[in-house]
Amino acid sequence: MRRAFLGEFEEIVLLVVAACPAEAYGVTIWEDLQQQTGRSITLSAVHATLYRLEEKGFLSSTMGGATAERGGRRKRFFTLTAIGVRALNDVQEVRSRLWRAIPPGKFQLIGI
Amino acid sequence: MPPKSRPPRWADWLLERFLSPYLLEDVQGDLHEVFYKRMAQVGVTRARHEYSWAVLHYLSPFFFKPAPSEPNSSVYPSPSLLNLSMLRNYLTIALRTLAHNKAYSIINVVGLSIGLAAAMLIILYTKDEVSYDRFHANNPNLYRITSRDITPGDQKPGYNTNTGIFQGPKFTAGTPEILSFVRFQSNQHDIKQGNEVKSQETFSTDPEFFQLFSFPLLSGDPKTALTHPKSVVVSEDMAEKQFGTREALGKIMFIKTNEQFEPYTVSGVAKKCPQNSSIKFDILLPITISKEDFAQSDNWFSFFLNTFVLLRPDADSKAVEATINRIYQTDAKNTIVEMAKKFGIKSKTIYSLQPLTEMHLSTDLPVNNGLVDESSPAFSYILSGIALFVLLIACINFVNLTIARSLKRAKEIGVRKVVGGGRSQLVVQFLGESFLLCFVAFGLAILLLLLVLPTFNQLANKALSFMYLLDIKLMAGYVGLFLMTGLLAGFYPAVILSGFSPVQSLYSRFRFTGRNYLQRGLIVLQFSLASFLIVATLTINSQFNYLTTKSLGYDDSNLVSVNKSSLKRNEARLLKSELMKFPSIVDVAPKNQGFWGTVAKVNGEKQLSFAYETVDETYLPLFKIPVLTGRNFSPDFPSDSTQSVLVNESFVKEAGWKNPIGQEVNFFAYETPERYKVIGVVKDYHFVALNQKIRPQLFTMKPKNDFGKVFVKIKPHTETESLRAIEQTFKKLFPISPYSYSFLDQDNLKKYESEAKWKQIMLFGAILTIFISCIGLLGLATLSAERRTKEIGIRKVLGASVSSIVQLLSSDFLRLVGFSFVFAFPAAYYAIDKWLENYPYRIEISAWMFALAALLAILIAFFTVSFQSIRAALSNPVKSLRAE
Repeated sequence: MRRAFLGEFEEIVLLVVAACPAEAYGVTIWEDLQQQTGRSITLSAVHATLYRLEEKGFLSSTMGGATAERGGRRKRFFTLTAIGVRALNDVQEVRSRLWRAIPPGKFQLIGI
Repeated sequence: MPPKSRPPRWADWLLERFLSPYLLEDVQGDLHEVFYKRMAQVGVTRARHEYSWAVLHYLSPFFFKPAPSEPNSSVYPSPSLLNLSMLRNYLTIALRTLAHNKAYSIINVVGLSIGLAAAMLIILYTKDEVSYDRFHANNPNLYRITSRDITPGDQKPGYNTNTGIFQGPKFTAGTPEILSFVRFQSNQHDIKQGNEVKSQETFSTDPEFFQLFSFPLLSGDPKTALTHPKSVVVSEDMAEKQFGTREALGKIMFIKTNEQFEPYTVSGVAKKCPQNSSIKFDILLPITISKEDFAQSDNWFSFFLNTFVLLRPDADSKAVEATINRIYQTDAKNTIVEMAKKFGIKSKTIYSLQPLTEMHLSTDLPVNNGLVDESSPAFSYILSGIALFVLLIACINFVNLTIARSLKRAKEIGVRKVVGGGRSQLVVQFLGESFLLCFVAFGLAILLLLLVLPTFNQLANKALSFMYLLDIKLMAGYVGLFLMTGLLAGFYPAVILSGFSPVQSLYSRFRFTGRNYLQRGLIVLQFSLASFLIVATLTINSQFNYLTTKSLGYDDSNLVSVNKSSLKRNEARLLKSELMKFPSIVDVAPKNQGFWGTVAKVNGEKQLSFAYETVDETYLPLFKIPVLTGRNFSPDFPSDSTQSVLVNESFVKEAGWKNPIGQEVNFFAYETPERYKVIGVVKDYHFVALNQKIRPQLFTMKPKNDFGKVFVKIKPHTETESLRAIEQTFKKLFPISPYSYSFLDQDNLKKYESEAKWKQIMLFGAILTIFISCIGLLGLATLSAERRTKEIGIRKVLGASVSSIVQLLSSDFLRLVGFSFVFAFPAAYYAIDKWLENYPYRIEISAWMFALAALLAILIAFFTVSFQSIRAALSNPVKSLRAE
């Protein structure tokens, strides 16, 4: 399978889904995302990303049972797939490899 | 404010409109969840604003696109329409259904096979009709010379299919496009066959006969067979009859020409003429035309034979027609003027060429004078119409029964749909079933065809054989017929049945309501066709009876007609005196042979054409034809034979005489004009068949005219001894003349042979349509009775009588049959009125004919339906009510 490209936002959404302790669905992911990043994000952006990730095979979704609080509409719960996990691992590996490649003391030179 | 505490409607509406359905539920759910949270945090108004704003963010193509294809679809491919195991299942189910519903299957198969057989028969017939004369290798360059007389001021030209001795040779000589010509003249010659003398039809023709036409010779050279004047070509049948062998080449035949038997040498034996040939010969003689005849220019006006020409393949027939007319105008110029002066002819003759292949079915220019099997396209049309009726009715049965029975199959259809059968699959299944039935019917139809072909041949005067079927085009036609029938019968039921809702059909709440209109309409159509044919049959029948039983104006019973060509006056007297010696013979009267017609002037100027009869004074009394005014010929007036004539009423009417006795008739066209006085008026009688009007008729005793036959009146029930007496006397007096006799009343019946045939064919058609309609009705009645068993049971338990139940079950159908008359009778009236217009003496269309037809149709339908109704009404209600 072709190595799927993960965008920055996609990566964060994927990580949020992975980090979610309970069943993750649109609203919880959206709230977590805002909380973790501190950014203001529209719900539609989250939805679009979730569905795109599903299409790419990193996420899978199932419809939950009927609910009372949202007019009986069911929730769509997202879970990480094996491919999703591997993609996150790949990304992290690239990152850490790059981090390791940074010469020691470089940041000090910049003066931070 | 409760209504406000919910997301704005328009936003929801927008969302529902726009979002792809598979995303809608959870997206909208999430939005609502956020809305209610925000409402608690920031209030309704703010939350509503935010909601609307959020919704607007969803209006992007990403959310609009349809769901990605179901991953399931690749795991379970949708079965193709013609999956092998499905087909096997269809076949099993079809055979099972057919086997379980024998009555239904039999009705359908029998109906369809009768319809198909009728259609096949007619295709065969039509094919034969159009194939006439097409076997000649020289087609399409073969033509017959015909002409039409155009009288100024007269719209309709007089057609003439015959020609004389000149047209062939003179046109050929003057037109390079005409390669050769053949004249074909019919004659009657006496032929010696052993010790007997037989009168036989012979044909005289030109030597090129076998080059123009493709009649193969078994022996003899086609090029020279007819060059010698004393040669003869015989058919293989004739050779067999004459010599007992087909190897007749070089043998001698004695044929009476020029008053004595002369030897003719057989120069060729021809194969039997194909049955689809207008030319059918047994004996062919070379045509002989004397030099004097050929020199006499007025022979341009003597038409008595058929002339055929062969054109060059590249010739334009219109150009050739122009050329031959030019030749005629120059060559016959003087004669045309002369004849116009002598006879007062105003008409102009224009020659034209008729393709040989068009002869057989031509109504204006029919085959005659030795050419046989005259036909009319009307026969093909009527027969095709009947066949179409029968086939249509059979298809209607199929449609009706299938739909009516579908109630029983509703469950099957429901189950099929529930387990995933698509509509198209059901259509394929039901169409397949109808084709299966049709196929069985097709096989049966071929068997049926073989069975009825001999009878049909006899009726239609044909020699069709099954071998005719082995023809690519015809086969294609039959296969087309098969496909068409299958489709016609199966398409509508297939579409209807496949449209059943599975829920309804499985709940068994299924009822026919609206669709009954179609069923009713089809029954009405069926019975309209059937009653139309009943009326037609009744009309033809009564017209036929009218023709055969109407008084002809003379007494044709116990009359024997004996032919004797050129019977002299003294011979006639001798024959009479000899015959009168026998006690069984009442009287003898001589008459001219065949039909003579001529013209004469009356009232000085007026020209009248009439039938010209040569008789003696015994003729009218023998036939019991009354003389209205004046007197009959009488031996007491010796001048009668040279100065007097009798005329009939029509003659008087046409001549416009108030006082006919003593009027003068002027035979001006004779070499020496002759004048006669009318001495009596004879009551009109039908001297020709009743399908022709009585025309003017004139009787003479002129000694110069030979008699050609004698009528012998015999005592009733003395046929055997009288015939023996006549034959003995005849052979004694005229040993070398052929002897043949016939009874006049039988001859008269023969004139209506074609009517008799049509009567039979119509009767057949009517019986077939009624039969098929009735078995269809029977099937429907059965199904309807089955469907209503419970109702009938309840009615009986509540006290309904058998007769009321029979009435309940039958009245529906009978009403439909009654309704069909509304359509059938006007159409039938129109059709029979048109047909009867052909007859100058005809029955009047009367109401009783229609009443009888109506009664017949209703009675037949009633018996058909009541059979089932009574059975249903008599059944024990316990049985029908207990079963559930």
